[in-house]
Parts: sequence; structure tokens; C-alpha cells
Amino acid sequence: MKILVVDDEKNILKLYKAELEDENYTVITANSGAEALEIFSKEPPDLVTLDILMPDMDGIHVLRLMKEKNPHIPIIMLTAYDYRDDFSVWVADAYVVKSSDLTNLKDTIKQLLAKSKL
Amino acid sequence: MAKKLNNQGSKRNNISQKLSVIFELIKSILYVEDFNELLNKITKEAARAFNANICILRLVEGDRLPVKASFGIPNIEYISEELAVSIGEGVAGRTFELGQTTIFKCSDDFDYCSALSKHMELHTAICTPLIIGNRIIGTFGLYNKIAEEGGIITFSEDDKVVLEGFASIAAVVIDKSMLFERLGKKEKEAVEAVKSIGDLRELLEGVVENSADAIVTTDLEGRVTSWNKGAEKIYGFTKEEVIGRFMPFIPDILIETERGYLELLKNGQTIKDIETIRITKDGRIIDVNLTLSPVKDAAGNIIATSGISRDISEKKRIERELRNRNEELSRLYFISSAMRGTLELDKLLRMILAAVTMGEGFGFNRAILFLLDEDRNTLRIAMGVGPSSLEEASDIWLRLWKEGKTLSVLTEEIDRNLFQKDSLIEGLCCDAELQLESNSILARVFREKMPINVTDINAFSESQTLFVKQLGSNAYALVPLIAKDRVIGVLWVDNLFTGKKIENSDIDFLRNFTDHMASAVENARLFEKVTTTEKEMENIFESISDLLYYNSPDYTIKRINKAVTEKIGKPAQDIIGKKCYKIFHGLDQPFVKCPHHKTLKTGKPFIEEVEDPNLGGTFLVSSSPIFDQKGSLLGTIHIARDISELKKLREKLNASERMATLGEMAAKVAHEIRNPLLSIGGFAKRLEKHSSGDLKEYAKIIVDETRRLESVLSDILIFVKSGHIEKKKVYINDVIDSISTLLVPELESKGNVLTKEIEPDIFIWGDSYRLKEVFINLISNANQATDFGIISLKVYRDRHAFNSSLASNKEITDEQIVIEISDNGCGIKQEDIGRIFDPFFTTRAMGTGLGLSITKRIIEEHGGRIEVASVWSEGTVFKIYLPIKEDK
Repeated sequence: MKILVVDDEKNILKLYKAELEDENYTVITANSGAEALEIFSKEPPDLVTLDILMPDMDGIHVLRLMKEKNPHIPIIMLTAYDYRDDFSVWVADAYVVKSSDLTNLKDTIKQLLAKSKL
Repeated sequence: MAKKLNNQGSKRNNISQKLSVIFELIKSILYVEDFNELLNKITKEAARAFNANICILRLVEGDRLPVKASFGIPNIEYISEELAVSIGEGVAGRTFELGQTTIFKCSDDFDYCSALSKHMELHTAICTPLIIGNRIIGTFGLYNKIAEEGGIITFSEDDKVVLEGFASIAAVVIDKSMLFERLGKKEKEAVEAVKSIGDLRELLEGVVENSADAIVTTDLEGRVTSWNKGAEKIYGFTKEEVIGRFMPFIPDILIETERGYLELLKNGQTIKDIETIRITKDGRIIDVNLTLSPVKDAAGNIIATSGISRDISEKKRIERELRNRNEELSRLYFISSAMRGTLELDKLLRMILAAVTMGEGFGFNRAILFLLDEDRNTLRIAMGVGPSSLEEASDIWLRLWKEGKTLSVLTEEIDRNLFQKDSLIEGLCCDAELQLESNSILARVFREKMPINVTDINAFSESQTLFVKQLGSNAYALVPLIAKDRVIGVLWVDNLFTGKKIENSDIDFLRNFTDHMASAVENARLFEKVTTTEKEMENIFESISDLLYYNSPDYTIKRINKAVTEKIGKPAQDIIGKKCYKIFHGLDQPFVKCPHHKTLKTGKPFIEEVEDPNLGGTFLVSSSPIFDQKGSLLGTIHIARDISELKKLREKLNASERMATLGEMAAKVAHEIRNPLLSIGGFAKRLEKHSSGDLKEYAKIIVDETRRLESVLSDILIFVKSGHIEKKKVYINDVIDSISTLLVPELESKGNVLTKEIEPDIFIWGDSYRLKEVFINLISNANQATDFGIISLKVYRDRHAFNSSLASNKEITDEQIVIEISDNGCGIKQEDIGRIFDPFFTTRAMGTGLGLSITKRIIEEHGGRIEVASVWSEGTVFKIYLPIKEDK
């Protein structure tokens, strides 16, 4: 399973990559929205984790463009805090609060991938 | 003398000559009738007979000898007084004294010639006394004898003899003449006296007879003895009818009085200028002015009476008329002052109409008053008086006026007795309003400000308006009511029942009255307006929900509105008259923080917030001075609004504004911190996983502390986040179910039990996610505070909390629900209770101090409120009230 992890922080990308590879996922990282969109169209992943706050192109814009290209690929929005209300109009598949405890993220990825397989 | 003549008779020639002289002389005077002429003739003839220059005749008067006649003295009329001599003095005086004829030679006897010689040259003189019996009545003197050959010579002895002879006869003649003269005078006087008495009598009789006054004489018994034309004219009786009768013109009731007068007259008294009445032949009573006098005979005895009487009926009539008129005027004045003192419009209008219709007033049969309605520009019937109350009205006015009632009693009586029926108006409703622009006669009177007297409606088509037809009037008058040059209405009057013609003079009189009345009406209308405005103001004053009160400058409360009595909780009479600082602030001296204080000091308005625990909150107090026309301070008016709630809201707003700014910053900071934290925590976790021993433990510490930091960050971000809540129908039961299992491990860790009493099917409109947070927060808090205790959760509907008028048997939407979370834990310290909802306030070492702030915010965002009650070491109860109604 190929997961595209998008974040502007290289350390975070490194952490997610290590942790998710530990879970046996193939992890591709992108540290900007533009890069992420390029990867998304060239080699479509099975799932995307998208940081909302990014300097060049914010996650919400990226989310919209990705969903326009392929709405079937699940996208998890990673937020600094509970943005749930604000996301109600968006079309992300899940929202996960960024935390050093990756349990919640891993559980969500597992659930979404299981769902998309069906 | 005869003897002397005999003695000298020898000289025959001489004697006959002398006798002839005397004879001539006597002859010349015998036939002179006039006494003065006689004397003059004597002197003249004697001077000629004796060839003398001058002759003077004097007659004695007392001891003086005045000149009575003379000859040969020029201008005798001027000097005759001077020539009078006393006895013994001068030629004549000397002669009179001697009593005999004396010859003087002035050069020898100068002393005796002096009187006349002042005026004439005297040389010789002869003077003889005029003797009758033994009485000398005068003297007769001759002066300056002229000789035949010329020159003045002395009188001779012959002259003396002749003169004595002549003088003796002349004396008799003079004496007789004097007597005759005196008698003649007397007779003449007597004749003239008789004649003038006759004239007077005639005059008097004419006066009496022709006098316009009645002049009547009676005997002492009152029987008429004379009766003039005036009496006949005044009393109507002829002379024949009254003479000899007791005065028939005395009315029976006055006969005794008249006899009294007769007694007075008998005693000689005069009765002057009495006013009484008399009766004429045809039975009319007349007023007379009477003077009675006694009539006396020559001996002074009272033998009759005379009475002069004058008919003063006309004068009396005028007097009476004047009096009546005066009375009428004072009555009108009385009414008019009553009216001017009446400010109640309705009452005033009634009074005016009463005055117009009352018999003693203007006496019109009917009257209607139209008044200007300025808003609609029409004339409207204000009031009318019909015949039903005509008699009544006049009677009452008259009686009230005579009784001298006070105005207040008067107006009460009018209210009670007059105008109970306004039948006149009832039939007129359809025409009760009249456009001023119309061609109606009423509108014309209004526009032209002139009265109109319609003497016959048939002669004047314009006058037949609908309402006149309804009234059935054939003739009427309209008078404008003018106040300060402005027409404020029109008065309509007629005399339908008596048919009395309305004269122009009636209208003039009425106009005077209406002009006065118009001012009174205007005043009353103004007063009414003021009263209405005042009432409106009063209502506004009372209904203002702010505290409104008026103070005199000495801090005494003069007026208050209802809000004040409600706030103070005392009746108005316990507040008015007290000092404001006592009532409002419970102080014994002025409250310096109150703007009232400043307003009194400076005379300017002030607005300030006043916080006073005595009043139970914060008030925005405005204090404004009220001045009279002279600019002196009458008092101050205060408006105090309870802004406690406002202040709280404002504080909240300020806090939330602060929070929004803080939140924005916090969000940025949090994002910046979160990523490094995430890296730290994440890699530490990896370190922990892949290491062992102490290193593993250290890595775990990093992981835990990072997690704690992350939790603080989340709380901060949730708190500052200002998002709207999406409200849906949320069943409280579902919310609680979803968290119960989540909380179990936490509760168990402290040995606490959660009990739940939840009414079924309770829902609100809200955000379940947020509400979950509320429950988690509160139950967690309770759990933290309690060890081995019971945490109880109750949820129920509160049916009485919202006392809504909509609460019916339909769906219950106006109620609220109550969520009670209580514990029997340590409780909250009293000093902390006020701060527990403040952000970052915490008593726990590990707390962020945001939990209860977030809870409170969520509750408030749902339109509810949260309350806390706690007793230290006994436990705490949180009560949440949430409205059920969907908030749109």
C-alpha cells in the first residue's frame, strides 16, 4: 500500500515515513503542495495524509485539487487542533489532530484503506 | 313888626315903595308848587329887589345851616357843601345865633364873611333869621348891595325893615311848603307800595298757578284749600274735586304718616325733600319729592299748610332701570368671573350657555356653541342648551348669585342641576362637523369675524342650513367667539319659543360677552391641552422602566416613578420627602460619587456610572438641573438605569475580544510549537521503542512530557477558537451514553461511582460534540476532586423556569433542561468560587485551567448558563440550564 505523506516539515516527514514503514506501508513524501499534486497525478497513491497549514499552497486547496482529479483516493487531513467544524464543507475522508502519539493516525489509515479495498 | 312899620310910616313914599317890593316878592313866590323851585325863586327875586349881588337861603338842620338855595354864586352845586356853616359861624351862623336881622360890613366884620369870601369878593351883607313863632327855621342873607350910581354900598336900615317883612312871610311860605313836600312824598310812597304789592301778588299767583309742581295748601285738618294747575296735572283731580276734601292723593297706607306730618307742621316744623309715593285719580302710583311748610297769619299763628310736590316717577324709573342694569351687569360680571375662573372646558361651556339662555342674562331660548377643531379645520358642536333647561337655568343662576355662593360651590351646583339633558344636540349629530371652507353661513361668520342676525330665514336662502332646519328655527343670530384676534368658535342663538325678535343691540351686548368668554374658552382649551399633555407625560414618566425621580436642591425627593417604588420596595409616600442619599444609598449625607452632587455644585448635567451595593448593582445615573424662568435652580431630575447586566455583558465582550486576539496569536504559536513537539514526541517514542534500560525510561519521560505539552496546546486552541456551533436536535441520553464508557477507567482509578438519573427523551438543539466535552470536563473535574465517592448526574426538564405565555399543552419548546453534576468530594474554597470559570485558573498541579472556561463558553453558546455551589470538604454541585427551544 502506497501512502503519500504531505507536510512542509522535513522532520515530520521523516517521522511519519519511519513510523508508517514500520507498519509496512510504502511511503512517498512531499514537502509542498505542488510536489504532492505532481506525485498524486504521476503515481497515484492509495491514501494521502495532508497537512493543512503549508506555506506555499495550503492543504485545503491541495485537498480540493486532489479530489477533483481522483475522488476515490482517501485523504486524511492532519490538523494542528480540532478543525472539525471548519471542515464540514470540505470533502476530506478523515481529520486527525496532529500528535506525537501516532496511534490515532495509524488506526484511521487502517480503517480507510480497509474501506477503500471494498 | 307892625309897630316898626308904623314908626317909619311918616315917610310915606318910602313905605309904599317898601311894601310894593314885599308884595312883588310874595306874589312871585306864592304860586310856586315845587319846594326847591320856590326857594330858588325867593333868592332870585330878593337879590333883584334889594339890588344885591348875592343871595343865600339856609334852612337849619340840627346845629348846621346848609345852603338850600342861592343866587349869584357861580358853580354853587360844587361848593354848596363847603358853604354850610354851624350856628354862630359866619354871617348866617351869627344871624341865627342873634335871632335878629344883622347888617355886616365885611371890612369890619371879617370873621363873619370868611366862608363865602374864599370864593367871591364880599364887601357888605345883610342877613335875617326865618322865624315861625318862636322857631328859627333858617337864615336869609343878601350880599354886596349895588348903588344906583354904581359901586357897592352898605345895606341900609330901610333894607333891614323890608327884608324882615319879606322874611317873615317867606318863612311861613317855606315852612308850609316843607310840610306839603313831606306829605306829598309819603302819599306817593304809599301809592307805589300798594301798586308793587299788587304786582308781587299777581306774580306769586302766576307762579303758583302755573308751576309744574303740585302746590297744595290745606287747613290743619288736611282739607285742601288751594290746588294749582300743577297739582291737577300731576294728580289728575280738578280743583273742584279736591277743595274742602282730605287730600285724596295720599295712598291709604300713608294716611297715618301724613297725619304725623300735619302734627309736625302744627309745631312749626318744615318737612323738606322727602321722597314718597302718591296715588293719582286713575289709581297710578307715582313717586314724588315733597316739601311741606306751615303757613302763618300776620300774628304768627299757624293756620294752614302748604305742600310742594314734584313728580319724580320718571327719575325713579331711570334710577330703577339703572339699578336693574347695574344688577344685571354685576350678575353678568359674576358669571363672567366664574367663567374666567373655570378651567374645565366642559364646565365652562355649560356656564356660557347658561348665561346666554338664562332669563336674567341674555335670555335667548336656545344656544349652541361651535368650536374650532384645528386639527381637522372644522367647526364642531361643542355643546347646546335647549328649552328643557331654560327656566331651570335662569332660576339657578339667580339664586346662586343672590346667595353669594363661592365659585367652587357654584360650579358644583351647575354640574348637578343644569343641563342634564342635551336633547337639542341629539338630533344634530349628522351635522356636527362643518368644513371651514364651505359656503355655510356658520363658516362665513367664522371667516369674516362678524356676527350675522338672520331675522327671517326665508328672506335669506343661505341661512337655511341643514342644522337650522333640524332645529326648526325661523330666525337666529350667529356671533363669532374671538380670542386674541383669532376666531375660536361661533355661538348660535335663537328665540324659537318666545318668538322675541333678536335686536342688533342684543347682538352687540352678546358680543361683548362672547369676547370675554372666548378668552376664557381659549384658556380652558389650553388648560385642557396642558392637562392632556401632563397626563401623557405622567404616563410616560410612570411607565419608564428606568428609575426616574425629581429632587429639590436640598436632596429631598419630590417625585418618583413606579420603577423607583419597585426598586426601593416601599410605597411612594415612604420615599417622597426623604433625602435621596438616604433612600437610594442608605447614607446620612450626600453620596459623593453620584452625579447629582456635581450637578448641584455646577448647575450642569452629568452622567456617571454609579456602583452601589446598597442598590444591588451598577447604575448609569444621569442628573439634569431644572431651572425656573429666572434661572434659579428648582431641582434636579435623575434617570438611573440598572446596567449591571450590561456591564457584565460588556466585560464579557471585552474578554472575548481579548480572547480572539489571544486566540489568533495562540493558534499561530501553537502551530509553530506543535510541529516541533510532534517531532520530538514522535522520535522519542521511536527511541523508547528501540532502546532499553535507563535510556528507554528517559525516552519515555520525553514522550510523556511532550504529550502533556500537546494536551495544553489543544486546550488552548479549543478555548481560543471562535467557531460557531452547528445546532442539531441532540438527545442528552445519547451524548451521555457515548461518554460513559470513555470515563469508566478514569472513575475507577479513583474509586468513584457515577450515578445517573436522566429523564427519558430529553433533547435540546445543540452540538453533541461540544456537549460531550462539557460532560467530560465536568465529570472529570468531579472525579479529580473526589476519592471513593459518588458522582451524580441528573438531567431533567424544568417546566417553570421560563414563565412563557406560550407554554401550552402543545410541544414544550419554551422550557429548559437542567443538568446537575454533583460530587461529595473536596469542594471548592469560597475564595476560589468566583474565579473557577476564569481561563487558566486552576487549583490542580496538572490542570490547564481551561476546562471550566471551555465548558462555560459552550454552555453560553447554547444560550444556557452554568451555576456552581460548593462547600469546602463537602462537595460541589454544577447546574447547567439549557433552553430547549431551537434558537433561530
